[in-house]
Amino acid sequence: MTQGATTTKATFPSVEWFKAISAIVNDDPGYNHIGTCDATVGVRIPDLEKNYLLTFEAFEVSDVREVTPAGAEDTDFWLEMPYAKWKEMLENIKQNGKADLHHTLNTIDLEDPEGFARSHDGYRRDAFYRFNQTFQYFFDSSAKIDTAFV
Amino acid sequence: MADAAAPDIPEDLAQVAQEKSIPLELVRRAMALGFPVEAIKMQMSQPGVTAEAAEQFIAEQEKIRGAGGEISVPPELKAIADEFGWPEELVKRALKLGAGVDMLMNQIKAGIRPDQAERFIEQQERAQQGGMEAALDLSWMKVPTEWGIRVRPGKKGLTVGMINVGTYADIPDVWPYHTEMPRGAYPLAGIPTMGYTIYEKAELWADNCADLYEEAIQRRWRPATDIPWDTVEPLPDEIEKAMCQVCTYLCEKGLLAGDVVGKWLPEMSYGYHEVKLYLSTAEFDYARQFEIFRKRALSNGGGMGMQSPGYFHRAIIDARGWTETSAVLHILSNSFVMGIYQLGEYTAHNEAESLIYRLCMQDVARQLAYGVQHLKYFLSRHQDRRAEVHNYLNKGEAIFVFEEEKDTPIKEALIILLGGGTSGEQVADGMSKLEYFRTRWVRDYLARLAAAGLPDRREKIHPSLKKYVQQPEKTEAQAA
Repeated sequence: MTQGATTTKATFPSVEWFKAISAIVNDDPGYNHIGTCDATVGVRIPDLEKNYLLTFEAFEVSDVREVTPAGAEDTDFWLEMPYAKWKEMLENIKQNGKADLHHTLNTIDLEDPEGFARSHDGYRRDAFYRFNQTFQYFFDSSAKIDTAFV
Repeated sequence: MADAAAPDIPEDLAQVAQEKSIPLELVRRAMALGFPVEAIKMQMSQPGVTAEAAEQFIAEQEKIRGAGGEISVPPELKAIADEFGWPEELVKRALKLGAGVDMLMNQIKAGIRPDQAERFIEQQERAQQGGMEAALDLSWMKVPTEWGIRVRPGKKGLTVGMINVGTYADIPDVWPYHTEMPRGAYPLAGIPTMGYTIYEKAELWADNCADLYEEAIQRRWRPATDIPWDTVEPLPDEIEKAMCQVCTYLCEKGLLAGDVVGKWLPEMSYGYHEVKLYLSTAEFDYARQFEIFRKRALSNGGGMGMQSPGYFHRAIIDARGWTETSAVLHILSNSFVMGIYQLGEYTAHNEAESLIYRLCMQDVARQLAYGVQHLKYFLSRHQDRRAEVHNYLNKGEAIFVFEEEKDTPIKEALIILLGGGTSGEQVADGMSKLEYFRTRWVRDYLARLAAAGLPDRREKIHPSLKKYVQQPEKTEAQAA
């Protein structure tokens, strides 16, 4: 992915931050090229008590909202790790223009015995793999904004 | 000078004659012979028609037709017709329609049967009497299927799932037709059976297959150009050899899965086209699996590795029913293929390998999704067959474990990739990580079976795999 001009500033984690990334991918032919994706994805940062729900629908991220922990888990799967690990991942993406080989979603998932991608349903969790490139592209797109950390 | 009794030539016919340089007198003679205006116009419009050819044709027709319009068959034509069993009346009808004597003789000698000619002549006679539209039968237009369907595209375009509306959304539990007739079409009596063997919906259906088909089409990728092959750089010899061994293993798996699904597709009746459509994309995925890993093996100074023992392959290909095949191929085998993809991405040495494994994960995840949803549907309709499914898995797991024990090359290749080399320390690290990954693979395999309706598989899993099963109590204790 080519890093474009930085025009947006947002703080992670926040609804604004996820909306900024959504706006970038929704307008990105490269994201569209990956193909359709239908999945609800939770984002959990337990030590900050922050939980979000991202809705991926067809060729866009159609909704972003802050939810309760239960709301984040009432999804196909949720991505959960401590704030410091989120920060490390996003800083790595910013530094390289995309995740390097040690910071891809799959790599982070494998390194955590509990898993980075979690679900209450073995079938729905596989959405993490079915649309993996979409989710990777989504987070890699954070390289295009200036992220401030709380 | 025109004969006063000669018919008037319509303006449009005269225009065509003028364009083709055919004298109007010839046109009048054709009309006097009784040929309809439209037929004359059509004949004149044919490419290559000249005034000379038209003169010759009309002269011949004037010879054939008597004053009262009576047709006489030239002796040379009658002799040929008699020889080939064409009734004289049929020959006369052909001549009346304007067939040339030479052309007719050639057709008869070429072996056109009288019954074939009869059908064609009837059609032409209808056309002459009622215009070209009368040449068409059109009874098929009254087909009693549901009509007036007008589905509009949604956010994902016009998808296979969206066109399942009205009676076209009726997917029967048993498909009663043995032919290739598409669902919703009107059946013809007497069509030979196509030899399908799966007619029961529960034996192949999955609620997600229409979506999976669209997903596979949408998310397709091209190994030749989508992978940044230029990022592949020379690796230490033992790492390249390990990588190539994994590639060889995955090539074999792709070829096998393609053969297995290809064998079963012709068994599936057409009433469930969503399944056939999805599985045809899975076939393509398997081909791409073979392609991509062969390309990786042959792109960095390495080559193909050792063949695997293949006991497990036989277990898959020898399964006697589709549900058994799907459970063993799509859930058991693919859970472990998915595990290798995860591991491959985890140990990737460059952007190309990382992307290859991520894209392959997507492909195999669809196969897992079909397998889980099919098994779920099957069990929901055949609760009495749960023990049978467990038996399929008992057999599959046992052979899988046996194969794993015998397949030293893949096991050692994975250890080397995970450990990063062949030193004692690296091997120990690789072995430890492989055990950790096995725990995850078994966890994911059991989670998929639980989602399919077999949560009790956890208790019944093969003893050699059971050691990797994490007990819920233990997990909670660890978390505490």
